[in-house]
Amino acid sequence: MRTYVTRRILHGLLVLWLVSLVIFSLVRILPGDAVIMQLDQAAAPTPEALTRARQELGLERTFLAQYRTWVTGAVQGDLGRSLVTRRPVTQELLKRINLTSHLAVMAVVVALLIAIPIGVLSAVKQDTMSDYVGRLFAILGLSLPDFWLATVVITFLAIWFQWIPPIGFAPLWVDPVRCLSQLLIPAVIIGARLAAVSMRMTRSSLLEVLGQDYIRTARAKGVRERAVVVRHALKNAFIPVVTVVGQQFSVLLGGTVIVEFIFLQPGVGSLILDAVLLRDYTLIQGAVLFFATVIVVTNLLVDLSYAWLDPRIRYR
Amino acid sequence: MKTAPSPQTTLVLVMLALALSASATVAQEKAPASEKDAPFAYAAPAFIKELDTRFPAQPPVPPSPPRYGGVLHFPAVVRAFDPTAGYRPELALVWDTLTEWEAMWNFPEVQRTPVIRKTLVTDWQMQNPSTWIFKLRQGVKFHNRPPVNGREMTAEDVKYSYELLKGKAQYSTRAALVKTITVIDKYTVKFELSIPDPKFYLNIVDSLSPVIVPREAVEAPGGLAENPIGTGAFMLKEFSPGDGALLVKNPDYYLKDKDGRPLPYVDAVRLYFTKDAATETALFRTKQLDVMRVSTLDQLFALMKTTPDLQLYRVSSFGWGDYGLSMALDKAPFSDVRVRQALSMAINRDIVSEVINKGDAALYGPFPWGLAGYTKRTDYSYANLGPNYQFNPKEAKKLLAAAGYPNGLDLELEWAEFQGWNYGEFAQLVARFYNDVGLRVKLKQLETSTWLAKVTGVQPFTHMLATASPIGAGPSFMDWVYLRYHSSFPKTMNREGISDPKLDDLLATWRQDPGDKRPVLQKAIWDHLRKNVYRITTIVPPHYRITQSYTHAGGNPYCWFPGYCSYEAKTAWLTDKAPARKFDKFAE
Repeated sequence: MRTYVTRRILHGLLVLWLVSLVIFSLVRILPGDAVIMQLDQAAAPTPEALTRARQELGLERTFLAQYRTWVTGAVQGDLGRSLVTRRPVTQELLKRINLTSHLAVMAVVVALLIAIPIGVLSAVKQDTMSDYVGRLFAILGLSLPDFWLATVVITFLAIWFQWIPPIGFAPLWVDPVRCLSQLLIPAVIIGARLAAVSMRMTRSSLLEVLGQDYIRTARAKGVRERAVVVRHALKNAFIPVVTVVGQQFSVLLGGTVIVEFIFLQPGVGSLILDAVLLRDYTLIQGAVLFFATVIVVTNLLVDLSYAWLDPRIRYR
Repeated sequence: MKTAPSPQTTLVLVMLALALSASATVAQEKAPASEKDAPFAYAAPAFIKELDTRFPAQPPVPPSPPRYGGVLHFPAVVRAFDPTAGYRPELALVWDTLTEWEAMWNFPEVQRTPVIRKTLVTDWQMQNPSTWIFKLRQGVKFHNRPPVNGREMTAEDVKYSYELLKGKAQYSTRAALVKTITVIDKYTVKFELSIPDPKFYLNIVDSLSPVIVPREAVEAPGGLAENPIGTGAFMLKEFSPGDGALLVKNPDYYLKDKDGRPLPYVDAVRLYFTKDAATETALFRTKQLDVMRVSTLDQLFALMKTTPDLQLYRVSSFGWGDYGLSMALDKAPFSDVRVRQALSMAINRDIVSEVINKGDAALYGPFPWGLAGYTKRTDYSYANLGPNYQFNPKEAKKLLAAAGYPNGLDLELEWAEFQGWNYGEFAQLVARFYNDVGLRVKLKQLETSTWLAKVTGVQPFTHMLATASPIGAGPSFMDWVYLRYHSSFPKTMNREGISDPKLDDLLATWRQDPGDKRPVLQKAIWDHLRKNVYRITTIVPPHYRITQSYTHAGGNPYCWFPGYCSYEAKTAWLTDKAPARKFDKFAE
């Protein structure tokens, strides 16, 4: 076990080093740089001023010198300062992660609240009007792009109710009412798509389980249909649903950019997009390295948890 | 027991639905003309006429006295509240420049004679065109925050700030001309210039000139980003990148209004860093924005339908936001003036105006009309631009043939998406016009930062680049023309690398003239440029700026972009009909 853990940690460190090297190189291949992107349109800088600005940001140093400085800092927990805001990258990231986590969790909760009842109903009432309506909902959810839905929702909320979700993030534990009124509508919009995927998965998975021998046995024993579905079928049917939701959740952590833009909720997605557009190298590098670390550590913990969940598994 | 519908039934239902939707489409197509006024369709010429009548160029004078208090909301794009990191007009809320452009400068009478408001400087004197003495306003205090703690601004601060900022990319346009700064006494500084300039005082006015910062704040841990201290009308209370900012009134601010009342009137300003037009529109409709800029006539129409009591400031653009084409002049065929003239004549500018902004746009020449002596809107005409700007495909073909291209040319036209502009449609339109005269255009969309690198002259472009013309801050001929056309300046200033000895002579004469002959010289330079077509310019839409009915923030057409100059926020005020707002935190 100890050998396995050591090997996995070393493997994780190797992955992180490779990620750091790749992202550090990739951002420097992009055309333009932070100095150009920060110029006002009216500005017409002298070439000397541009060179000086790059020197101040350390962009004129050799690739290796820049990389060494950054990695040395990162190992010590210092991801550097944003080239644009001049604030610590860690500070910028933590603030945005807070909002995005709220949004992602709420979107998943909304999605499950919609998807599970409809998916179960659709499976239990297969090929009836309820099933058709449920499937229609799923197709709609998959077909409507969230940027379109968000634009329509914010426009019509403003016109019909003279109201839009408030701006300026407040965490759930600080101001629950404000947090919900701010994030619920964006969460429903993001959750609609996830709900569609989850609903289809719930339906197909449950249908498959309902056709199995042990379900037939339960029915033959006279167990009521509700108990068959809820107690016997649903648990097993949830395994693939949970897998899908888990995957979608990690996507949501970085993938709610458009909705963040439209509802003016600055999360991680818009932070990274802005950083790419402004060529804020240190912020891009810091954000990518941070997420890579989270994924590596999570995977390691999940792998280790298998042994705890299933004692038959042994590591070598 | 319920049974599922048979496949046949389902098929019939689907067919029925399709038939119904098809019949609905046919019915719509056959609708009489009177029903064509769909919710979002409108007749642009009639709407433009209505705007001309309802909202004259001279905005209404706000009532007096103004009401103190309230929180003003407007959209902005600020990535760093730190003048050493990058320039944004909104920084003028916190940091002052030595002088500012007077609010009314872009009305005809002041286009000829720019009016300057004395902010940190109260007087100046030219010892010779290379040596200038500036007298500072006494009693101006920095914001009362540590580590500066409200100490007085002095000549040492001016010297320190110019030496710190003049080499920065965002300020080097003008400040690079300043060779040395000497402190004469506590309230007097001397500027020595590297190029003699008898009108140097026009080049220290706001926007692209260094702001005055205190040394203690710059040198404190975190620098100005964490110690945003200036002499401005507002103090930065909270800055949330990507989200917004909250600025509160500076109780020690030194400027007064024309009746001697202290400025600013509002207690605080909240900036929203919006990135999406739909979001801004929704914020305005729900009265979470008091002032905003509208990009297109379509957006303006939609907003006026839902907020009919808004106040519109529709200001003819001085020259910002035009649609033009830069050419690689150092290469054939663009080095040939006949080709450049042909490329200009091949474009129908009326159609460009229709496509870009439903016809609400003015013609644009080599530089702002006002700087060439044209001040009436009716002067902005084809007649005054001359034949090179008139749509004449036949003549364009003749010129191309005369230049040795009877069978046309292969051109690459580069463009990119850029917030607030519609370069995609512009590039397609130009390609279509060029195709009609036998030119084969390959459109190449660039990633925005690559395009910006080409626009700023850092990277070369292949043949042609769809972009706005180089601009200046305020009505400064130096900014708009001298730095942009003189061959001695690098491509970061003179984007196309224009090198024309006759033009250089005219510009040099202009620069050395004390002022008497400048208007005549500026017109001569205009005439020279419109003949030689070093850049192809087409149209420039007006600026639309709207405010809520309870907001008085419009006596200042220079500030067509909310927050563009601090004076707007200083003099804005809200009536008692404005929503009550708290301002302890940005997220209140």
